[in-house]
Amino acid sequence: MKLFKNKTFLLFLPAGAFLIIPFYGFLYAVIQSLGGEGFTHYHEILNSERFLSSVWFSIRTAGIATILSIILGLGFTKWFYPLLTHTSHRVMVWIPMLFPHFVWGYMIILLLSETGWMAQAFTAAGWLEDRSNFPVWTRDPQGIGIIITYVWKEVPLVILLLFPVYASIRPEYYALVDSLGGNAWHRFTTVDLPNLLPVLVESFLIIFSFTLAAYEVPALIGTTFPEMISVLGYEWFYGSSWDDRPLAFAAMVLTSLFLLILTLVGYFILSRPRWRAMRGNRP
Amino acid sequence: MTQKKLEMKNITKTFHQDKILSELTFHLEKGEIMSIVGPSGSGKTTLLRILAGLEKPSDGKIIMNGKDITKQKANRRSISLVFQQPLLFPHMTVKENIVYGAKVSKKYKEEKVDSLLEAIGMVRFQNHYPSEISGGQQQRVALARAMATEPEVILFDEPFSSLDPSLRQDLRYWVRDFLSSRETTAVFVTHDMEEAMIMGDQIAVFEDGNFQQIGTAETLHKSPANLRVASFLGGHLILNDHEFAPLHDVQVGTKKTVEDGVNFQATVEHITYQHGRPIAHLYVIDLKKKVSLPFDGTFPSREVQVTIPTDSIRTFSGETL
Repeated sequence: MKLFKNKTFLLFLPAGAFLIIPFYGFLYAVIQSLGGEGFTHYHEILNSERFLSSVWFSIRTAGIATILSIILGLGFTKWFYPLLTHTSHRVMVWIPMLFPHFVWGYMIILLLSETGWMAQAFTAAGWLEDRSNFPVWTRDPQGIGIIITYVWKEVPLVILLLFPVYASIRPEYYALVDSLGGNAWHRFTTVDLPNLLPVLVESFLIIFSFTLAAYEVPALIGTTFPEMISVLGYEWFYGSSWDDRPLAFAAMVLTSLFLLILTLVGYFILSRPRWRAMRGNRP
Repeated sequence: MTQKKLEMKNITKTFHQDKILSELTFHLEKGEIMSIVGPSGSGKTTLLRILAGLEKPSDGKIIMNGKDITKQKANRRSISLVFQQPLLFPHMTVKENIVYGAKVSKKYKEEKVDSLLEAIGMVRFQNHYPSEISGGQQQRVALARAMATEPEVILFDEPFSSLDPSLRQDLRYWVRDFLSSRETTAVFVTHDMEEAMIMGDQIAVFEDGNFQQIGTAETLHKSPANLRVASFLGGHLILNDHEFAPLHDVQVGTKKTVEDGVNFQATVEHITYQHGRPIAHLYVIDLKKKVSLPFDGTFPSREVQVTIPTDSIRTFSGETL
């Protein structure tokens, strides 16, 4: 085989060796989820209203948080990227990335809960009659607290990912669109978006995968129903009944497969001739 | 009477107290092609960008078809710019790039795109991406894209400078014919005098933020306005701030060849070949100037005499236009 002849495979060895661990975990989870009973557990969770509403809640919450993060990060980078060339400004923007998600979630509770600083400040200022009038933004059924925490945490990540791309776009392209008769919208769709697309797709996959399956923030700031898939999985795994453990594995296997399919779709979009040509490759 | 298509009146551009353009005035008639030639960094690109509306002048007016367009934005002007690099959109095919120009300027007609593809000889490559075609082909597509907007004036900013010499030569004639056949008014910026002569009906020598002279290639050569024009053209031996001699009247030999003439000592620095003839590169010691001129025969020594007949010595015309 050519791959083995030119020793390229040696370069894959470290990554391959590292991936053995999660692959083993995944395989073990699949075996556990089957539990020698075929697809019974999958059948069970796919008919469980608790599971289905958790899936919908998770996809919706993670989807909104991801799309908002990307839109805000993109807007921020677009308008402020000349300022971001200064290290001090970049450090300021990236500070939220230094804190663990759990700490950031706790900060949101301190800030936005009904007894939080903002409720107290509004009451003290006389804008609210009573602190209980403050809207429920943490441990709420809409997942607002979760979304705010993630957006606040992930916008700097989006900026970090997009900034080098913006810095590499040749300004002559904007002048070209202008001289052809185009406006700001044309500049964005013809120059910015095609350059950013690969990073936008990658950012979406990274942030969506993380926010969909991460445990700490929804556990801290979410409600008991509907709950994020990770919280449900945790409850099934560590719950009082051992019978629920295979359900936790089945839920996580399905989540992994869903993310895998999503990644493959992203990969195929970026492999289309048009986007290969964008990277300067011959399609 | 010919119609004035584009006029620049007293255009000045200062940048951090540096005067890049100084009260520039010129006009173009419909269908006329003007070459602006000058050394790198002389502000030629700034001049084009101001015409295109990509930069604002500090002072002065731009008038098109009798209407003041100085304050009009780039996307509202019927002026297209072909850049130094083709700047094709890499994710669009050849045809899509041309269609884009037409659609963005709201002048899309399928027949027009097809005829442009035909004119640039790219019908066969219309579905290729820019990364799949050569530099010369890319520059032709860029021109077609600019033409697809149906501009009244088209500007070229050294569009061939990134191409190899043989391709550059072919493309010069091709673009010249393309513009002439469509009676397109054009401004062509270059730092290459030969290119300026091929492309333009008129040549404007631009240096130090101003036009040193505007005229046909013949006028510039026969009566250069000043020392700057003459030294940029390279076809004259400049004797002092006021006088010059055309190189074809300069005689080189081992001794003084004309009785009634001026004589200078020179050394042969190098010999190269151009258009099949040997070219001697001389250093005229008395004038402290380098000069290159064709010669026949050989030199017995490095030390030579440069002789200029008195009646060949001329004075700079001083006339800019």
